[in-house]
This record gives sequence, C-alpha cells and structure tokens, in this order.
Amino acid sequence: MKTLLLFVLFMLIAILVILLAIVLGDSGAWYFAWLVGTGMIVLITAAGGAMLDAQDEHAALETEAGTNAKRA
Amino acid sequence: MHDITVVDLSRWQFAITVLYHFLFVPLTLGLSFMLAAMETVYVTTGKQIYREIAQFWGKLFLINFALGVATGLTMEFEFGTNWSFYSSFVGDIFGAPLAIEGLMAFFLEATFVGMMVFGWDRLKRGQHLAVTYMVALGSNLSALWILIANSFMQNPQGATFNPATMRMELTSFTQLIFSHDAQAKFVHTSIAGYVTGAIFVAGISAWYMLKGRHIELARRSFRMAVLFGVLSTAGVITLGDALGFVGGQAQPSKLAAMEGLWKSEAAPMPFNLVAFPSQKEQVNHDQLQIPYALSLLVTHSMDGTVPGFDKLEQQAVGRIKNGIPAVEALQTLASKPGDAAALAQFRAHEKDLGYGFLVQRYAEDVSKATDAEIGTAARDIIPEVAPIFWSFRAMVAMGLAMLAFFVLAVIFSLRNDIVRQRWFLKIAVWMIPVPFLACEAGWLVAELGRQPWTVYGVLPTWMSASTHSVGYMIFSLVGFVGLYTVFIIAEMYLMLRAIRKGPDEPHGDDPDRDSDPMLNNSAKAGPFAGYAEG
Repeated sequence: MKTLLLFVLFMLIAILVILLAIVLGDSGAWYFAWLVGTGMIVLITAAGGAMLDAQDEHAALETEAGTNAKRA
Repeated sequence: MHDITVVDLSRWQFAITVLYHFLFVPLTLGLSFMLAAMETVYVTTGKQIYREIAQFWGKLFLINFALGVATGLTMEFEFGTNWSFYSSFVGDIFGAPLAIEGLMAFFLEATFVGMMVFGWDRLKRGQHLAVTYMVALGSNLSALWILIANSFMQNPQGATFNPATMRMELTSFTQLIFSHDAQAKFVHTSIAGYVTGAIFVAGISAWYMLKGRHIELARRSFRMAVLFGVLSTAGVITLGDALGFVGGQAQPSKLAAMEGLWKSEAAPMPFNLVAFPSQKEQVNHDQLQIPYALSLLVTHSMDGTVPGFDKLEQQAVGRIKNGIPAVEALQTLASKPGDAAALAQFRAHEKDLGYGFLVQRYAEDVSKATDAEIGTAARDIIPEVAPIFWSFRAMVAMGLAMLAFFVLAVIFSLRNDIVRQRWFLKIAVWMIPVPFLACEAGWLVAELGRQPWTVYGVLPTWMSASTHSVGYMIFSLVGFVGLYTVFIIAEMYLMLRAIRKGPDEPHGDDPDRDSDPMLNNSAKAGPFAGYAEG
C-alpha cells in the first residue's frame, strides 16, 4: 500500500513538473535547456550511485552493531 | 517526368536504411552520457567497481557504436545516389550541416572513442573522464547537425530560392541552426536516446539480478539507470509536446494526420483517443474522444483551433493556382535568364512555388492544368493518415509506460529493495525493446507526416528522387535488406555474447578493490549478502 501511495505521489510530481515545463517552454531556449538538463541528469545519476554505496555502508554497520549487541 | 515506382522504391529504401540506422543511434546518444556518469563516480569516489561498471557498459557501447557508424555512412551517400535532384536543389543548405555532422562523427567522436577504449591504462583518471565526456558530447553534437538538416526539411528556415541558379540558397545560418523546430527536435531526439540507454542498462542489470550474477555491478547500474531514465523521460515528454506545438504551426497537415482531423472543428476541440481513419472516405470510424483535450494539447488554450484536412485542401487549391505562374516564370528564366518580366512574375508568386511543382506531376505544362488536376494535386497534401495516427499513439503510450516504469523503479531502488522485487525485474527485462520501438514510431510520424514533401511546402517528394531504373532500385533495395540482416545478426550475437559473459572479473592484485571496505562489507554482511556473486 505504501509503495502504491509513493508511486501515485511520484507520478503526480512527475506530471506536475512536465506540465510546468510545457507551460513555461512554449518557445523555449531548448539548446540551453539541453545543456543544463544533461549536466543535471548526469550529476543526479552519479549522486544516485554514490548514495547506494552510502546506504550499503549504513546497512553493513547496522548489521555489525546488531551482531555485537547479541554477543554482548 | 519521374517514374513514381522509382520514387516509391527510393522512399522504401531510405525508410528501411534510416529506421535500421536509428536502432543504433539512440543507444549511442544515451549510453555515452551514462558512461560519463558512471565514470564520474569512479573518479570522485575512487571505488574500483565503478571502473568495472564503466568498462563493461563501454564494451556494449562500442559494439553499438561501430554498427551505428557503419549504417550511418550509407545514409550520407544515399542522398546523392537516390535523391540527386533533392541534393542539388537544397545542397547549399543541407550540405553544410551534413558535412559538419561527418566531421563531428569521424574526427571528434571517433577519435575520442579510440582514446576512451584504449586509454584506461594510459591516461590519468581525470584525463580519461574528460575523454568520456568528449565522446558523449561528440555523439550528441554529431546528432545535432543531422537533426538541424532534418529540421530544415520539416520547416525550411534561413534559405531562399534563387532563380538565377535554380536552387535554394542559404541566407541565414543562424536562422537554420536556431529554428524552433531544430531546437525542439534535437533535444527531443537526444533525450529519447537517454531514455533508451537507461532502459537498456536497467533491463540488462535486472537480468543479472534475476540470475544472481554480478549483483554489485547490477544494483549500482540499475540505480544509476533509473535515475537517469526518470529525469530523461520527463524531459522527452516535455519536448515531445514542444515539438508538437512548434511542428503543428509549421506543418498543419502533419498535425491533422496525427490527430485524424478530417474536418475543421470549433474550439474547444476533442482529442481522438482511438479511431480508425479511412483515407478513402476521409472520416474516422469507431472513434473514442476526450472532450476539449485537443485544443489544450496542441494550442495550450481552451479556445485554440487547428485546421482539418477540408480547410487545408481548400488552401492548397489557392496556393497551387498562385504557384503556377511561378513555375511558368522559372521555365521562361531557364531559357532567358535575364527576362525582367519573368523575374517580376516569379517574385510575385515565389511564396507558392512548391505548390506549383505539386501540380506538375499531373500536368507537365502547368499553364494548361485543369481544375481536376489542381484538385488531385491539392488532395496530395494529405499524407497517409492511419499509420501516422497510430504511430503517434504508440509512441505516446510507450513514453507514458516508460515514465510509470521508471517512477516505480526509482522507488524500489531508493529503498534498496530492488533485488527482492523479482516480478519487477522481469518487467524491466521485457522493457528493453520499448524505447527502440518508440523512437522508430516517432520517426514514422515525423517523416510520413511530412509527405508529399521532402522540404515542406518547397519541394515535392515526386521531384526529388534520382532517375534510376526500377530494376536498379529493386536490386539495391534487396542488397541493403540482405546486408543489414547480416549486420543485425552480428550485432545481436556480439551483444548477447558480451552480456552473457558479463564484466571482466576483478583482478586479485587490485589494491583499490581489496582495500574498499564498502565492497567487502556489503558482499559479506549487507542486506544483499545472499545475492553476492560466487
């Protein structure tokens, strides 16, 4: 249920962003938008990879802490 | 007079070769920037696994790139061999971006691809990353020039016809490059490539996760691909709307075909969600409509309208009648170049010269064209509606399906839960062909919708082809189909072999990897310990 709600929320955000871009960009400077947008997409993608590593490290530390607590 | 069978065969040959070529292009456009993102993480974090990720996807990029270049080469020659009148008529404008595209592809892009592949052990990290960014930029800038050339065909800007040379000549390079159509088309196409690259990486990564192989590589690749994909899909939909908005103003007959709009209607116009257009009867059968939606979609207002084919055909009759004196004047100028009266007549009617050419197909002596011949020529402005109508809907449906896919994929990936969602991983694998099909459908809309013109409103398709024999055209068409079938088999074999083999196993003496606590910890004690590759 939580996944469904998140899906609906994120879809709504995506649609809202698309609508805003459409309204603002009737005769937009699209070359400029491509330059800025591509840079942003690449950086967010790279950040996503680094974030996964951070999540893994956090999970590993939690697992380790749990094992230590059981031993204690 | 051209043999229409030769024109049709030339169209078939171009359509087959360009649709085939465009199976490779979007993946090159998208995967190149994904490689840049992967390598950026490697350079900034120093984690060895990102180098392996970039090298593995780089190998698949290379296979695709090689075939993309090989099949692109034939396209450039085809303009000269099969469309020689077109090439001489608009060569002054079309030639410049095409030449720059060739230079970009062969000098910038290809040079840096070589450095990217062979430079891993020869260049410093930062230098190699710069090279990868240059490959991505080169690929996309190479596409920019060919799309500028294509945009000129859709919405001719920055050129005028010179009766002294009997060809179109460039008047403003800036107008050519910065036309709204060129801008929207480039960004729409380039970002469609990003979506293709993202689904490709996500799908193959999902396959690895399903098989329990290369989990660490697959999870990271999947995470990066879905973030890359969700942002790109939002962009591609936005630019699709922009292209429809810009293109609808420049090419009303294409817009009418996309919407199955036979009769003009008052605002607010309904959108045909489903319909079965009949070219012969000029009506839609069994249509399912959404009220008010068309006005909103194509004019971004509730009181906006766009003309239907009834109005466009009527306008074409007037424009053909106005274009006939321009064609007559050209015929005079061809034999008497300095004839002032003919030149004045041409200047008065040059706006509709292309429409005058339309009727020449039915009346070689245009001064004697009958009303029936003009009517037939005016009906020619209606392209084949059904394939355009359905290709457009297929493209939009696939675009929305990809948006939904990426949104869900981002949720699962950010929760670090994707490996357990096996049903979703199976969907991800099946999503791989979708962006390729969407790209092909988009090009069908763009190119079929431009008919009966090669350069919209300026040069009809029937005049543009070379005067080959039917036998020659059939022979070369069969040759292309045969050769390209071999190419696709070779591509699929190489891709599947590289995917099955997977990334090169890490070297045991790699200090970066051995000392990487994250890699070792996550494999042994992390949430995906059970999935660690054996």
